[in-house]
Amino acid sequence: MSIEVKNLVKTFGDKRVIDDVSFKVEDGETLAIVGFSGSGKSTILKLICGLIEKDSGDIITSEGDIAMVFQYSALFDSLNVADNITFALTERKDLRKKYTQEELNSIVTKKLELVGLQGIEKKFPSELSGGMQKRVSFARAIVTEPKTILYDEPTAGLDPISSTLIEDYIVRLKEETHAASIVVTHQMSTITRTANKLIMLYDGRIVFAGTPKEMLRQDNEYTKQFVTASLEGPMRMIA
Amino acid sequence: MSTLSKYYKQSATYKILKAISAEAYDFLDTLGEIAKNGFITLGYLLTGQVSIKELIEQCSRFGVSSLPITLSIVGMTSIIVASQVASEMVKQGGGNFVGMMMTVLIVREVGAIMSGFAIISMIGSSLASELATMRVTEQIDALKVLKVDPIRYLFVPRVLSGILMMPVVVIIASIVGVLTGAVTTAMTTDLGYRAYFDSAWLGLYMKDLSVSLIKSLFFGGTIALISCACGYTASGGAKGVGLATTKAVVWSFVAIVIWDMIFAIAFFF
Repeated sequence: MSIEVKNLVKTFGDKRVIDDVSFKVEDGETLAIVGFSGSGKSTILKLICGLIEKDSGDIITSEGDIAMVFQYSALFDSLNVADNITFALTERKDLRKKYTQEELNSIVTKKLELVGLQGIEKKFPSELSGGMQKRVSFARAIVTEPKTILYDEPTAGLDPISSTLIEDYIVRLKEETHAASIVVTHQMSTITRTANKLIMLYDGRIVFAGTPKEMLRQDNEYTKQFVTASLEGPMRMIA
Repeated sequence: MSTLSKYYKQSATYKILKAISAEAYDFLDTLGEIAKNGFITLGYLLTGQVSIKELIEQCSRFGVSSLPITLSIVGMTSIIVASQVASEMVKQGGGNFVGMMMTVLIVREVGAIMSGFAIISMIGSSLASELATMRVTEQIDALKVLKVDPIRYLFVPRVLSGILMMPVVVIIASIVGVLTGAVTTAMTTDLGYRAYFDSAWLGLYMKDLSVSLIKSLFFGGTIALISCACGYTASGGAKGVGLATTKAVVWSFVAIVIWDMIFAIAFFF
């Protein structure tokens, strides 16, 4: 078992943003979390990787690192691509001084090749397109060989072709690392192309759990509304 | 009772008290963040956990990049003071003390405090906006996910560079201030350079130099710590970055004036 979430609860002020959420993701699987904006999707990722503290429930992950690909890449502006990728290896207490400069250079080349980029080691994030930044953030995320990879809206703000490319790399990284992955997304293509299973959140609760195929069958009133992008249905946008 | 409560909540008194309590909460919250992060930073400094590469970069930023504006401000302050005071002193027969007066003023006070103000406006604001931008663009979250302590990586080299470089800036600024005072005095009075520097030596005490240097260590560390803490705790988008930067500048100004007062009372009262 790579990630198991049991009865997770998180409250901000009076609002229960995560309300008794449970799911499991096995090694080599990808779970998509879908739902309206503000339904608590990104909060789940932040709870899993420890950026925010849970109120109650359990989060059990396999031993090893948890990597996260942020919505807008979150590359370090002041560092070039190579330094961004090797950042954890040079700055983390347990890893720094473990690698020689030659080894670090070799790691950068390999990770960049894995995400289809070459020859941009010395470039700064501001010199890259959104899609390239995203791929560099993939390379940075997998540098410590994580057992769990979390993607927060990986295709947000990208054109359809770049989105397809990113989706391909999510699948490729899963095959390379055999990590358990969670993808938070709104995009149907990302769900169908990357995920083995999915959960849909509404108002902090799971309203559907199944596979992408089951979702597309629209047997559930929530998935039907989501897939058809309808204003009619049980889900109401909170203004 | 409910109606009374409703009217009370609409009253000006309630709104003023609510605004004051929000400000008081924000003040204590900021103070707590500065203190907490200050202690963690101190812990890293005492155990020598500093990234040398980052330290060198920050020292260059703190010491070298800030010099033109710092020297300009201290130099111009010296011109303002000398042009108004030197001619009066010469008229009153105190020409032999102009150099001494300028030296005491610059070494004890102007060099350090004006450099502090210049550093706040240039470096402090830049540190705060940098960290605030990192916060709102999730770069600080990325540091945490990569298991790198943001305090060690961001605060420690910046605070240490403030402590190390501020005395250097103050020494150079004070020298420039005394020299600018000499030129201004020579241009606005009949007093020669020789007379100015002869009395300037008389005003140069070891105690003044030591206090100025120790004071500048505190100024540098305080400016860097407050600026980093205000940026680090920013929230929201562009507005949050702006608010954090303003807060860093205001708090740093107040903090170094408080330090200055403490040093003045402790050593010259």
